[in-house]
Amino acid sequence: MSDDGGWLNRYVNTLPERGWFQFLSKYVVVPYWVWREGKPKLPGGPRPSQQPSDSTQRMMNLLMPLKDPSPIGRAKAVMALAQNVDEIYAGLDNVGTVHSARFLLVEDYICMISVYDGDFSNYIRDFIATIGSVFDALMQVVEGGDKLAPCEHNVEAFIDWVRAHDLFQAPDFPIEMFGLQDAQVGKVPNHPPHALQTLPRALILQLHANRNISLGGGYRGYPGFSAAQIRQKLGVGW
Amino acid sequence: MFDLEDTGFDPEKVQGNILRGYRLNRVRHLMLEVTDRHAARGFLAASADGTKVDVPRITRSADWVKSLRVRFNIGVTHPGLRALGLPADQLASFPIEFSEGMARRAVKLGDVGTSAPGHWAPPFDTPDRIHIVASVYADETEAFDTVEAQLARAFTVLGVRDGRNLDEGKVFFGYRDSLSQPRFKHVFDPDELGVDEPLDPLGTILLGYPTHFEGVGFAVPEPRVAFRDSAFNAFRVLQQDTEAFETYLTEAATYLETHPKVARLLPEGAERNIGDGLGRHAALREVVAAQMCGRWRNGTPYALSPDSDAPGDLSLTNYDYTRASRCPAGSHMRRANPRGGPIVQRVANFSRRLVRRGMSYGPESGDGEHGLLGNFIGANYGAQFEAIMCDWINFGLQDPEITGTNDPLLGANQPETSVFDLTLADGDDRIRLQGLPRFVITRGGAYTLLPSLPAIRHLAQLTG
Repeated sequence: MSDDGGWLNRYVNTLPERGWFQFLSKYVVVPYWVWREGKPKLPGGPRPSQQPSDSTQRMMNLLMPLKDPSPIGRAKAVMALAQNVDEIYAGLDNVGTVHSARFLLVEDYICMISVYDGDFSNYIRDFIATIGSVFDALMQVVEGGDKLAPCEHNVEAFIDWVRAHDLFQAPDFPIEMFGLQDAQVGKVPNHPPHALQTLPRALILQLHANRNISLGGGYRGYPGFSAAQIRQKLGVGW
Repeated sequence: MFDLEDTGFDPEKVQGNILRGYRLNRVRHLMLEVTDRHAARGFLAASADGTKVDVPRITRSADWVKSLRVRFNIGVTHPGLRALGLPADQLASFPIEFSEGMARRAVKLGDVGTSAPGHWAPPFDTPDRIHIVASVYADETEAFDTVEAQLARAFTVLGVRDGRNLDEGKVFFGYRDSLSQPRFKHVFDPDELGVDEPLDPLGTILLGYPTHFEGVGFAVPEPRVAFRDSAFNAFRVLQQDTEAFETYLTEAATYLETHPKVARLLPEGAERNIGDGLGRHAALREVVAAQMCGRWRNGTPYALSPDSDAPGDLSLTNYDYTRASRCPAGSHMRRANPRGGPIVQRVANFSRRLVRRGMSYGPESGDGEHGLLGNFIGANYGAQFEAIMCDWINFGLQDPEITGTNDPLLGANQPETSVFDLTLADGDDRIRLQGLPRFVITRGGAYTLLPSLPAIRHLAQLTG
């Protein structure tokens, strides 16, 4: 925005607040840009990293659409998990890389929020191998889950599905969005470089493709440690 | 729907370089581009069934009993399947790791810095052009040029890599290699007699069979009847910086010689039991090398014999790790195959095993790049090769003591941050080594499908 005090600049600076301009942006400008250079959906979960502290306490925000979002359907989802609590604890124990996990019913989704160490696909695969039946029960109440059960026989497809439903984690530095968008379409990131003033548009277009996102990879109160390191330090076995 | 019957293994359907190694001492790997798909399909058709004299026949498992002077196998990349004309719906039935290819999985594999795909040697710097990696095995090199000329009539040869077995089964770092491999109940392998590790189900390596995990099967690409009995391979060109490695051993030995705890690393006098009887400094070099690998360089397992490399009556393969094991949790072998030892991911013991076959390339020593041409074979990249590379080799997630550190031999180490803890006799005390550089640099590679014979015929008869 310009700080030149001319009348035109002052008017332009007020545009984002004006109703007609907001209407135009929402219904004409954004759809036009989506048509012209829409962004592909970016994959969910944390990105691979060489930085050891990035590879512990990683966040999963899995949004699974409920097959039946009515109170009856929601009750079925609650029951599916309530009947498997023992299995979930057994799974946590044997997989060994999970700090915590919880399930939420929010709007039309059943959400699994968890914190785990290491690679995403190993975490899911080890869970399938250990307590695949819990996922199978869950898939009964989830939209599109039928063709993934039994997950023991659809390991690859199940992992791909989870990755597609795990929220994209926006980079902590917004400018890195450009590079991720480039890489997703097979281009060399930031080559050629992007003009900084196009960042808001890049972000809006990405939020069109990824409606629900995680703002960054989450914040920790202390440097990353693995679940096993914490258990070892506290003397509770690993 | 999912056939988990452990039956129907037909050695005529499986390429011969998967379940057992050949006893041939030389290899030529040829990186091929399909520029004429009709010629390429014609070659594959003739190669699958040996119908033409000027096309090498694919060696299958059934051929192990034959004494062949030349053996021939192929691997096909995802761009290769597309170039041969595999329909889009069938292409889409392959796992994401394979369809992305090795170069796009670089960060997960630790191929960063000098090992990043941008620095790979030709032709690996253009990964989408590598369609087929053909491998010719022989004892004499004459056969290589003959087969290369035959391949060049059907494909564009982008590059070749020649490998050979070094004396005494060693690699350039001086270790005896390939001592421990998965073994299968369907396969009689004289090299595996007397090994007491658990038998591996065929689904560890081949598509369409039960896996180590009860009830879990990995997806067979479409058409399943064709791609069953195939396997996935990570072909790697791994440069070994022998000079840096030997220099590091010397520096570490010098540091250790005056270390107050050194007597608990190697008791005074024990140096006489190492090699032909070494001096203190030379022996400490070998102790460091042994702890880094998990074996003394002659192959004797460090876990069984921490104070001497004499093999005696010790088994090279029959042992396990415990919490009190002298073999460091961070050693290369224990990272790659923790056996039944304690690991964080308790379900994963024995489940990430893969077949490793490799030969050395490059000049003996001095000037010139040398290293290993490795094939790392399994039924699922994500569950085996990548799982080992990202969580175990380069992160150490399997044991809290080593979490955050990389494999001392193979890892993506940087001297500023790298550490390796040497175990000592009695107790949990350690001597920490620092400043390890990266000793193994990735120079190229490709994810290839080692197609079954029915799959090769399927590819050969594609139209369009």
